[in-house]
Amino acid sequence: MGDEEKRRRFESLAMPHLDAAYNLALWLTRNEHDAQDVVQEALMRAMRYIGGLRMDSARAWLLQIVRHTCYTWLKENRPALKVSLDESEDAWRDLPAPATSEPPQVAMGKAERQQINQAIAELPVPFREVFVLRELEDLSYNDIARIAAIPVGTVMSRLARARGLMRVALTPAARPVLRTVPRSAQGAGT
Amino acid sequence: MMNKSDESWKVDAFVDGELDLASQLDMERRMAEDPTLRESVEVARVLRELVREHADRHAAPESLRTWAATLFPRPPPPPPAPARVLAGARAGSVAETLQRWLGWRPLLVSMSLAVLLVVVSNAVQLQSSQQARLMDDVVASHVRSTLGQHLVDVASSDRHTVKPFLSSKLDFSPPVAELQLPGSVFLGGRVDYLAGRPVAALVYRQGEHVVNSFVWPSTESDSKPDFAAERGFQTAHWATHGMKHCVISDLSRDEFRRVVAAVQLTDASRN
Repeated sequence: MGDEEKRRRFESLAMPHLDAAYNLALWLTRNEHDAQDVVQEALMRAMRYIGGLRMDSARAWLLQIVRHTCYTWLKENRPALKVSLDESEDAWRDLPAPATSEPPQVAMGKAERQQINQAIAELPVPFREVFVLRELEDLSYNDIARIAAIPVGTVMSRLARARGLMRVALTPAARPVLRTVPRSAQGAGT
Repeated sequence: MMNKSDESWKVDAFVDGELDLASQLDMERRMAEDPTLRESVEVARVLRELVREHADRHAAPESLRTWAATLFPRPPPPPPAPARVLAGARAGSVAETLQRWLGWRPLLVSMSLAVLLVVVSNAVQLQSSQQARLMDDVVASHVRSTLGQHLVDVASSDRHTVKPFLSSKLDFSPPVAELQLPGSVFLGGRVDYLAGRPVAALVYRQGEHVVNSFVWPSTESDSKPDFAAERGFQTAHWATHGMKHCVISDLSRDEFRRVVAAVQLTDASRN
């Protein structure tokens, strides 16, 4: 494959997914500067392997490279940050039930943007990446399995765990005072 | 009753539309009987909507995009007359070689020119018949979409809903945006099939008229919109940024041109 053909493929297959690549990198590194570094490195790898890309899966392919680059990059440049992948899959059973007198969907529905972003950012990495790929990139379980190099069953269990943690983070503890706050005071953060 | 972990995975997969048909139906049947299960599904749906609506999906900064564009240096456009434009000894030798060829092998040169002419004219003919077939497909697809109930796969005026949907169904990510045009309503998108491949169709309403805007990756070089009228419909097609665009509607000619200009604008300002 000539350089010109490689360039064409890169521009038509990889470049449309630049936002997705950056989004994943930023959610995994939680730092704009690091995310840029990671995506740059990932794109250089992508450029090298563009010839072997199958046409039907450019996005998953690029995100797979971004994810891989992310972990290598974090290990080399942020060794203090422990990226643990062996968190017990079963630990989620011990999650406390959200304590509130309101039905959970009502209590959770009041969460605001910043709270939601923070809750995602605080998910442990293995759960965060699966959650971001599913909810923000709208990828199928199969694509996520391929990107994260885990079986589909593990995608499902990690997603369930991530959502359990999100529910807990977004459901405020029962505080009767919440219901008496006037509407005008609530809208401050939106 | 299943144990709790199985149950939770099933609820998630159900909400994500990832269950096989049998399990999906089984879930629906059980939900009808089990209020606790119904509530779990409801909670999962609320969380899903909440995150999709409010969580940040970070767009790549412009600096990164610019940097990425320099990864492959674009080849310089071929000079119109290389022998004359190039200077120096190499240019001289090129010109000499060319002259020697022209001088010594007139028959060979004229024969190869004739062959080239035939090949080019065939290619041009083939391309124009391909173009005609494409426009037929476009009209058929437009008519199908307006006749039936299947105007959009995803009905939303929010590009952050439509774009990921289309990207997940296609092997490319189409530019998605509302038209900056008074009276224009973004109805949503669907996956369609044109030119022998799946394409993205973005659907707008302009007054009472439906506008279908098709997009797919293409190796065609950039071009200005080529307007035409096909069976009473206004059409335009062009290529830009490695994407082929084709817009069709039953609007009046002038209004249609305004819509096409607005579609071009969304593509130019895409991020």
